[in-house]
Amino acid sequence: MNTAIFVAVVTTIGLVGGLVASIVLASSTRASAFVLGLMVFIWALPPVVNGSVWKFLLGDAGLINGMLGGLGLAESAVPFLYDDRFALLSVALVNSWAVVPFNALVFRAAILNVPGEIFEAARIDGANRWQEIRHMILPAVRPTTLVLVVLTIVYAFRSFDFIYVMTFGGPGIATNTLPFLSYLQAFARYDFGLGAATAVISVLLVLVLAFVYARSVRREEKDT
Amino acid sequence: MTVTPIPLTDGMPERPRRRRTRRFEPVAGPLRFVLFLVYGIPILWIVLTSLKSPREVITSQASLLFTPTVDAYVAALADSGLFSAFTQSMLIASGTTVLTLMVAVPAGYGLARVDGRVTTVALGLLIVLQMLPQTASVIPLFQIFGSWRILDQTSTVVLANTAHLIPFAIILLRPFFRSVPEALQEAAAIDGASTFRTFFSVMLPVARNGVATTGTLVFLMSWGEFLYSVNFFLSPGKYPLSALLAQQVSAFGIDWPGLMALAVITSVPILSLFGFTYRLLREGLTLGAVK
Repeated sequence: MNTAIFVAVVTTIGLVGGLVASIVLASSTRASAFVLGLMVFIWALPPVVNGSVWKFLLGDAGLINGMLGGLGLAESAVPFLYDDRFALLSVALVNSWAVVPFNALVFRAAILNVPGEIFEAARIDGANRWQEIRHMILPAVRPTTLVLVVLTIVYAFRSFDFIYVMTFGGPGIATNTLPFLSYLQAFARYDFGLGAATAVISVLLVLVLAFVYARSVRREEKDT
Repeated sequence: MTVTPIPLTDGMPERPRRRRTRRFEPVAGPLRFVLFLVYGIPILWIVLTSLKSPREVITSQASLLFTPTVDAYVAALADSGLFSAFTQSMLIASGTTVLTLMVAVPAGYGLARVDGRVTTVALGLLIVLQMLPQTASVIPLFQIFGSWRILDQTSTVVLANTAHLIPFAIILLRPFFRSVPEALQEAAAIDGASTFRTFFSVMLPVARNGVATTGTLVFLMSWGEFLYSVNFFLSPGKYPLSALLAQQVSAFGIDWPGLMALAVITSVPILSLFGFTYRLLREGLTLGAVK
């Protein structure tokens, strides 16, 4: 169940965030190029580094709590990482933060693939920015979206590094996803049989996703 | 569908471009700034915190004003463990990159040029393999390596990493080889080049961007990998940087400036590599992901 919530949050935010970021950054101004570079750099950093930073920022006296307190939004520090209610969500949010750059990059390529003349034609016809997004950009990225959905789901599902670094599955079992649970069972409780069984279940789930992915890739290749 | 990013404004007359930029601003401008903050602040904070003293971090983690100190770096660099961890990271990452490319480049070429049932099955298997959670493979690998008595060796981690990344590398490389025109291959054949000659003198140079992209990504991934290192090395003395970081951050009573200094030190090689290959990554990633 944790796994399902986790995957759902990461996939939704990862895809929507990626799409928004790609639309915002599709213009070739210097600012866009810089922000995109920054984002891809974050994506390239080891997850351990990113995880540690967020563990720090989300701590009791960390930047986020400092800001909330300063703005008077929270009376006491919010226990982002060691409260049952927040921990899973916090880790999922950080995970989506880390995957947005990649998705934005792929979406951006799909948007840039639309010839510039089409946008010009639309503008001459009086289309505003929202109409452009709704009727031109969204259809253009649709084929890409399916592939990215599967990739992001798989990414979220097999996510391990952030959980390991930020909460280690805790508090209690609040951030145990299936792959992490199998790891804990095998290497923390030294019950290799149980861990392997959990791993097999997670592998079966991945098989289903891989099948969907393989089919969508095949279809794309047929088009060439 | 071959996804080759075409910069929108290239070759467009000057006027529409300017108008376009201005149209964007009311919504896109602020959003872009938000993105900049969301991704810039964590980086800034790593660096800032690594320059604080432990006492300052406890009193006010969020403060911007403080007297910078390089104590954390001095302490980290004075620790001889850091140097060996750095060496380990380098060994593991470059070993993995070389080994993976040695297998994946010919395999990617083969799978790109031969069509048929075998290719389809192989691709399907590779996709499945690429998607497997790392935690699922670490359990059997631990037992196999244990029975082979090769645990606690750097080459073991390289081997595990290579096995883990080869599917990914092949899948990423294949579209690059596919995008090389068949005519080139035919021309080479007419000139009497053997298959090997064609591969090394024609295909490889043409697809070098793909090889570079894949190599970079494999290096980045094995640089950050820590699950195999944490479990296959039996003592922390042989940990690479990433594993050291993972071990320290999940411990209690964390020395944040020291940890952040370690994080910065871990990231610097990534930054330099990134500086060289960003352009490649930007185009190459999208090609590999979509196909």
